[in-house]
Amino acid sequence: MIHVLLIIFIITLFYMAIANRLMTYIKVLALQGVLLFFVVFFQLSKIDPFNLAFILLETIVFKSLAVPIFLSYLLKRNNITREAEPFLPNFVSLVITTSIVVVNILIATVIKDDHLDKIFFVVALSTLFFGLYLIATRRKIITHVMGYMVIENGVFVLSLAIGNEMPLLVNLGIMLDIFASVLILGIFMNKIGDVFKDVDVDQLSNLKDY
Amino acid sequence: MLSILLNLIAALFFTGIVIRTKSKASGRKGPGIMQPIRDVYRLFRKGSVYSETTSFIFQLAPTVYFASVVMAMLVVPFGKSPGVLSFYGDFIFFAYVLALGKFFSIISALDTGSSFEGMGASREALYSMFAEPAFFILMGSLALLSGHTSFQGIFASLHIGSQISYALAALATFVLLMIAMIENSRMPIDDPKTHLELTMVHEVMILDNSGFDLGLILTAGYLKFALYGALIVNLFIGVIPYQYAIPAFFAIQFLMAVAIGLIESFMARFRMSHNPQFIVVLTSVSLLIFFGVLLILQKFV
Repeated sequence: MIHVLLIIFIITLFYMAIANRLMTYIKVLALQGVLLFFVVFFQLSKIDPFNLAFILLETIVFKSLAVPIFLSYLLKRNNITREAEPFLPNFVSLVITTSIVVVNILIATVIKDDHLDKIFFVVALSTLFFGLYLIATRRKIITHVMGYMVIENGVFVLSLAIGNEMPLLVNLGIMLDIFASVLILGIFMNKIGDVFKDVDVDQLSNLKDY
Repeated sequence: MLSILLNLIAALFFTGIVIRTKSKASGRKGPGIMQPIRDVYRLFRKGSVYSETTSFIFQLAPTVYFASVVMAMLVVPFGKSPGVLSFYGDFIFFAYVLALGKFFSIISALDTGSSFEGMGASREALYSMFAEPAFFILMGSLALLSGHTSFQGIFASLHIGSQISYALAALATFVLLMIAMIENSRMPIDDPKTHLELTMVHEVMILDNSGFDLGLILTAGYLKFALYGALIVNLFIGVIPYQYAIPAFFAIQFLMAVAIGLIESFMARFRMSHNPQFIVVLTSVSLLIFFGVLLILQKFV
């Protein structure tokens, strides 16, 4: 069951690579939260119920409800146009995402370590690199936040592989990350949205001395 | 032999059911289930008109196209019983004999000298080219999973048992269905109802064909749908005894026809520039199937 969920997780990455609208990105992020909820539910069976409940609550409330709602609020609040505006064509994005996954699988087969749970490793690293790729190739600032959320999901998947041993520590760190990123960038967005009408990374290059 | 018989029966009704579903979904009564067959029968009684600028290739191509589909039908098995031909690597034969037919329909479209037909031919070639790796990666991973290299061996020894293989079967069904839509030039890729040459893909290629030739091409299209449907059915029926497998065959073909009708009713055609990326998604999904197979075989974890 965990394998099935993780495969669906990778398919969401492919979908994100070719999606056109920002609302689609947000929906995919929410879906990833739900998927992670079930992965946690099946994977962390050995930890005590209180911790499990805490982690489940974190995934369902923050990853799949609070953050997507907050991001869509930001979209409305700042009148951001609904197109994602990538620098590269979607086709190239898809090819690159596929090759990221393939390269990670090759890396995982090369590593000969019995303690490593390879499917978690592959999904986590692919998600991480895909998040970086998303940040690098999209024009708007809010997509940077989304790329950051994708990276967070990747780190979360990686921590789930060892989650049975050290649960609370990892998740506190991740939750702090979520809070910090969304709040800081949200405030940042609000300010920029008030000053400039169009939130575009290209305009940041105008902030220099003449 | 059984598979050919079943395929022919399924092909009789398949397109009719698709058209009927579309008319029901848009609130019309719609033509009868057998209307496509009646159309073809009418076309078969007519002669053909050939343009003076075309050569013998244009007259040859519809026959080759039809024959290629019939050849492909020979290798498709039905559960335990093999197709008429069954040999090692017959899924490669299946793909390339269909490609041969497609090649002839492409050069016959170029042969007419019409610029629209050349454009349609170029698009059709591009989409088939992108769909090919998806099909081969899918069949290759199924061959790896079952340890056989013929259709019959693959499908007869495919055990759908664990949860991950359910996921793989669902993904494989999705990929095969979408390949069927691409190969038959149906809705998300191509609009069979359009009347504008610029947006046609398959329809523009057969604009100059008439009468008997057009009938051959249409019949080949119906057969092709049933072929891919039969492949999907084979994924599931495996070693089930015939008294359950034959009703299951028709049930799954019927469901597939209804699904195609619903997709055509509720989806718009993609923009031409979005089609290649959609088709490459199929390749990515097949790659995932491949790694899922590696996961089942313990070659990876």
